[in-house]
Amino acid sequence: LPSQQFSALTEVLFRFLTEPREVERFLTQLSDFATMNKISVGPLKNIVKSILLVPNGALKRNLSPEQVRADFIALGLSEEKASYFAEQWKVNSPTLTRLAVGQTLMINQLIDMEWRFGVTAGSSELEKVGSIFLQLKLVIKKGSQTENVYIELTLPQFYSFLHEMERVKTSLESFS
Amino acid sequence: MAAVRDEELAALQSLLKAPSRDAVRQLCQECFSSSPAGLGPLAQRACPGLAADPEEAEQLVSALHNLTRHVVYHSLTRAEDILSLFPENFHQNLKNLLTKIILENISAWRNEAQASQISLPRLVDMDWRVDIKTSSDSISRMAVPTCLLQLKIQEDVALCENSPVVSALTVELSKETLDTMLEGLGRIRDQLSAVANK
Repeated sequence: LPSQQFSALTEVLFRFLTEPREVERFLTQLSDFATMNKISVGPLKNIVKSILLVPNGALKRNLSPEQVRADFIALGLSEEKASYFAEQWKVNSPTLTRLAVGQTLMINQLIDMEWRFGVTAGSSELEKVGSIFLQLKLVIKKGSQTENVYIELTLPQFYSFLHEMERVKTSLESFS
Repeated sequence: MAAVRDEELAALQSLLKAPSRDAVRQLCQECFSSSPAGLGPLAQRACPGLAADPEEAEQLVSALHNLTRHVVYHSLTRAEDILSLFPENFHQNLKNLLTKIILENISAWRNEAQASQISLPRLVDMDWRVDIKTSSDSISRMAVPTCLLQLKIQEDVALCENSPVVSALTVELSKETLDTMLEGLGRIRDQLSAVANK
């Protein structure tokens, strides 16, 4: 492949890697590329598949751009193209790393929290109450479904919860 | 809640046969805490000595239950208010004893009523820990701190009378989620102070 087209192809590849959900767009861009350069789509797809293995493997093994470049050269790519790819890799790797971390297993991930608070005016047991309650709705991702959990807290519980969460924040910050 | 009827309160005079003041006190507490459905067994247990027949026992227990609940409902904290509930010819000493017992217990009973109110599941306890994720199948080396929060939640007390179900829910929060949550909690705190200062 002449270098201009190689750059174009690399761009398409990295755009897909940084936005893995845009599968349709990726496939469209690939077939456009194939038509523009008079290559047939089938073999192009196979080549692309093998090329994609390199960045994925690189992520898993935390390879530096030089290592990626060396890998490509070992695979038979010209130095110029390998360097270009490595450059693209360097530029995109923060995004790719963040995506990989985001994909890491999370147990019962908290996705959303809604709340309301109010005053209990009365009940069937007590004519006048006047106590404050806080209600939280936690949206939790369990596997591929979401579950809503509703909890009620008293005011002292709320303040203690807030205090604990601030301690967690301090702890998390000291580790980043 | 309807006012307690005079005929009902007359049944309380069976208490005159009680062996001691403590027995009366005990019975008052049990009658308040019991639900209307639980009064039957209470009548059977408490009353071979106090009542001539099962019907009298039931009336006694039911009257005590209604009286104590009525006082707590209306928050009658003054002796005069409670004394005025009794009918004219009610036994003087018994009236004073019952009023005294009720006044002693009223704030504990009020707390009990509030604790057993209907509500959404309540938070009972919470624990947390911070882990550092070092690797995963998608990336071999990283150092990402994450928080695991365990909430112990008790189902509505009114639904499971004697054995409330406590479930533990473990939730994972990333740093971003925690920051967003803290923002939300901060807003709640600000609104609470605004309400408190009005």
